[in-house]
Amino acid sequence: MSFRVVDAGTVSWLDSQVIYHAVASAMTEETEDTMTLMNPATPYVCVGFHQEVEKEVDIAYCQEYGLPITRRQVGGGAVYLDQDQLFWHIIVHRSRAPYRIEEVYARYLAGPVNTLRAMGIPAQHRPVNDIQVEGRKIGGTGAATIGEAIVIVGSLIFDFNYELMARVLKVPSEKFRDKVYQTLREYLTTIRRELGPKAPTWEEGKQILISQVAEAIGQGVYSGTLTEREQAEVQRLRQVFTDPEWLYQSGGLRKKGVKIKEGLHVHEAAYKAPGGLVRATMRVQEAVIDDITLSGDFFIYPQESLPQLESALAGSPLNEATLQQRTAAFWQEHQIQSPGLKPEDVVKAIMQAAAGEEMSSQR
Amino acid sequence: MRLDEDGCVTLGMTDPAQAQCGKFVHIRFKAAGREIQRGQSAATIESAKWVGPFPTPLSGEIVATNAAGFQQNILLANKDPYEAGWLIRLRPSRFEEEQAALLPQEEAFARYCEKINARNLQCYRCVD
Repeated sequence: MSFRVVDAGTVSWLDSQVIYHAVASAMTEETEDTMTLMNPATPYVCVGFHQEVEKEVDIAYCQEYGLPITRRQVGGGAVYLDQDQLFWHIIVHRSRAPYRIEEVYARYLAGPVNTLRAMGIPAQHRPVNDIQVEGRKIGGTGAATIGEAIVIVGSLIFDFNYELMARVLKVPSEKFRDKVYQTLREYLTTIRRELGPKAPTWEEGKQILISQVAEAIGQGVYSGTLTEREQAEVQRLRQVFTDPEWLYQSGGLRKKGVKIKEGLHVHEAAYKAPGGLVRATMRVQEAVIDDITLSGDFFIYPQESLPQLESALAGSPLNEATLQQRTAAFWQEHQIQSPGLKPEDVVKAIMQAAAGEEMSSQR
Repeated sequence: MRLDEDGCVTLGMTDPAQAQCGKFVHIRFKAAGREIQRGQSAATIESAKWVGPFPTPLSGEIVATNAAGFQQNILLANKDPYEAGWLIRLRPSRFEEEQAALLPQEEAFARYCEKINARNLQCYRCVD
């Protein structure tokens, strides 16, 4: 069986989600495995399958600036998507996909990874599903079972609007937003950032991707179009994906925080100590506090000790005992005076942020 | 699947299935009272690397979900798939007819052993 490539070109924001869902839900064992390629004509925001849109996205901002919001049937977090990202979706019948999801990613990410390498970017697949360049993410991917199909999705990011990505998220504070933005700038890269003027054109990038995917899966590919059955699914799913019931379905239990790449998250929580509110906004990399900002309405003397405390906590493993030890040592060493605020209150705010809790008070 | 004394069945993931899925990050259940057909999804599961349905092996009415258990601990099915990590209780509507497609425990166990060995499945709880 050959492998079909459907290059849909530039499509409406809605179709950039609908088309691959339609190919997947229409798939039977007789359908050829398929890669769809497209980019949206206009920007939009897309939330993960189980996310609660009101909790994840600044809906008022999106409405004011005309950014539509939709939901995909693939997991992960809310993302800002626009015309500078070439979406690829590999859709294979489950009977022909590897059983283990790690092998699914290994098999189908080889093409996109080799595409970046062919462009001159030393990209690597970092299991489970990141594509990284020297520790920076250059492509997030995801997988889902939709009907009889296994779908693997990702994009070639030519350029990325970091400001808007950070702006469309619903965040607990502007400090948190700033940390998300700074972390995205630092840890998410793009083809044009890596290659500058040597970056391939859009069409060149697309052709490299098609040939590298074909080579990686060891199958001949041909350029095809959607079948009538798939087109009917497109019509049906356009209704589903614009139905408020689809967009505003409830989420439920979910850990808060923003994932930037595998092993790197931004978290925030506030703890109400007797001496005032302590807010911890932090970046955690591989269970180590990479960067932390402490704020709130508590009193601490000497005043300059707060940034020093942040420095003392940066690099600490996210472990309650270690944090308690470091904070208490800092209090003693710097002769800290902080009425109603003890070292353990700072630790509580940090641990709550790490646990994905937003707000609590001393009981 | 476990047949309960009251004629209902308790459905959950097998240990190899939860190992393949990976650590849960979210689960959304169809509501109790819903009628579902064999093969339809009774819940959707999201792990760090995949989203997919939980298809029911029997048609019937969902009489209970383990939403409260997963609310307490999202890793319930990863940690204890055969007991505390159950997902759905179902009152089968076509049990006589559909049970032909099911395997008795010992036969299912033997088939699963073959599958685990053939696919070299490893349980991450043991590997971690």
